[in-house]
Amino acid sequence: MSNIISLTSVTKRFPVGDGEFTALKNINLNVEKGEFSGLVGPSGSGKTTLLNIIGSLDKPTEGQAIVMGKDIAKLTHKESARLRNEHIGFIFQVYNLLPVYTVFENVEFALLLQDYTKAQRKKAVMEALDWVGLASMANKKPSKLSGGEGQRVSIARAIVKRPVILLADEPTANLDAENAHGILKIMKRLNQELDTTFLFSTHDEKVMSYLNRIIHLRDGQIEQDEQITAKSASS
Amino acid sequence: MKLALQLAYKNLIGAGLRTWLNAIVLSFAFVIIIFFNGLMDGWNQQAKTDTVAWEYGHGQLLHSAYDPFDPFTLQDAHGPIPSNTNLSPILIRSAAIYPEGRIVPVTLKGIDNSNKTLDLPTDILKQSAAENPVIIGKRMAKSNELKKGDNVILRWRDKNGTFDAQTITIAGIFDTEVVSADKGLVWIELDKLWAMTGMQNQATMLIANDQYQHKETAGWTFKTQEELLSTIQKMIDMKKSSSSIMYVLLMAIALLAIFDTQVLSIFRRQKEIGTYVALGMTRPQVVGLFTVEGAMYSLFALVLAALYGTPLLGYLAKTGYAIGEAQQDMGIPIASRIFPVYGIPLVLWTVFFIVIAATIVSYLPARRIAKMDPVAALKGKLQ
Repeated sequence: MSNIISLTSVTKRFPVGDGEFTALKNINLNVEKGEFSGLVGPSGSGKTTLLNIIGSLDKPTEGQAIVMGKDIAKLTHKESARLRNEHIGFIFQVYNLLPVYTVFENVEFALLLQDYTKAQRKKAVMEALDWVGLASMANKKPSKLSGGEGQRVSIARAIVKRPVILLADEPTANLDAENAHGILKIMKRLNQELDTTFLFSTHDEKVMSYLNRIIHLRDGQIEQDEQITAKSASS
Repeated sequence: MKLALQLAYKNLIGAGLRTWLNAIVLSFAFVIIIFFNGLMDGWNQQAKTDTVAWEYGHGQLLHSAYDPFDPFTLQDAHGPIPSNTNLSPILIRSAAIYPEGRIVPVTLKGIDNSNKTLDLPTDILKQSAAENPVIIGKRMAKSNELKKGDNVILRWRDKNGTFDAQTITIAGIFDTEVVSADKGLVWIELDKLWAMTGMQNQATMLIANDQYQHKETAGWTFKTQEELLSTIQKMIDMKKSSSSIMYVLLMAIALLAIFDTQVLSIFRRQKEIGTYVALGMTRPQVVGLFTVEGAMYSLFALVLAALYGTPLLGYLAKTGYAIGEAQQDMGIPIASRIFPVYGIPLVLWTVFFIVIAATIVSYLPARRIAKMDPVAALKGKLQ
């Protein structure tokens, strides 16, 4: 299988006061298409920073990050935006739904930036909402949804454009156990049926139980890269 | 652009009361600017129409020695009337009247009692049975406490500079908005004035009617209607520019509200901005979205202004706007009621100006988005 994410000696430093804070140190990582993997580690270990670089929201200070064959450090703002829009989906811890839009419009948003007709958009949005079981709530505003429903809308918004990579930053951190399992089952199904590559950032045991690969991070470095057999991972 | 308009519209409608408060403030600016400019244009139009009807006609031939701004030139500023049926002669002399024993300097104007060029009611002079009938304006009558039928002594100088006096009768009091055809003036029959001064067939100025074709006439200087009206135009332009201070203040309040909302939005909506970027919008697209949102306030304001402004301004255009009596004596013709005139160019220019101004004040804070770190924005960190 081919690597769709390839990180070589990636280091990320942030200016802090007069000095610098090193968030990632010499990260080498390859992710193949269709993986269901997670970056696991305590707070401050560099999980979100690594996801942001892979998602082309940030650039490495040193090293090379190749995503979908594109060198993240060399992309212009416009090229980064196109990469995110066409190939990468994001799921955030606090859902980041646009409050003035309905569920339908939130999911539709990513498609508005692409050349979809109105009919194509409607079909794709309703399919995505069907996937997450929220087709009946298409006209509701995010403020009327529960936490679990909000995160499901966030998943629908991420998958509606059928991205190759889906980056999920602590997707279950604000959910109770029942909702967290529901969400993870949806993601697992999407991974299996659409062959979408999932990369999580988490320290939630429930998430880890679903992963096929766990990359342990500590102090900005990969401590352990663990392949989980299909039998042991929840399905 | 279409996408920015769609999203901006949704965002503004979603923002609810905040949007409508800004739109209401801006709509006041629309309505007030259009109303005051319409009022000025209406005043301008009325002032010109009245002045043409009561004083300027279709141009004036002034005796070359006559300076309208120098009363000392009156003594010698007269000459034989050129033969032209399209010119109405007026002879002007300095004089004084003595109402109830007070001396009041006046300008005595002799005009043909069959004059059709000016709106002056000279028929009254023809029809009066009095020996020396005169007509005066309402302001002149009021300031000297004169009324129709009053007799008053008039003293003047004849062609040799010798004083003479007679009793004149106020045969009529006319109402005009043109102060310069009223204040300090006594209108008398031209034949009578010729006889009183011994200045047969002499005139100080000649008023042209609409048939008049100008040819150079020795001893006379022709002033076209446009030249004569240019003074009024200048005064109205000056009044307009002084009123612009009010527009600037009004616009500043409205635009400040938009600017303030935009700055606040950019701070409050950082997560939203980060989400837009994460979902694939470029930073210029996000800047464009926020700018369009700001500009759209002006379009909402336009709709609101049209809703309440159209009937309101229409009503004022129909009933007119009452002007205080004190303001009517300021030297420029002002009707007791001014009827505003709202031309299409005035409305279009006002709309264009406000939309552009709103867009600029929206763009200024939105530029900040281009420098934002999307990761920090997603976390909602102040930048």
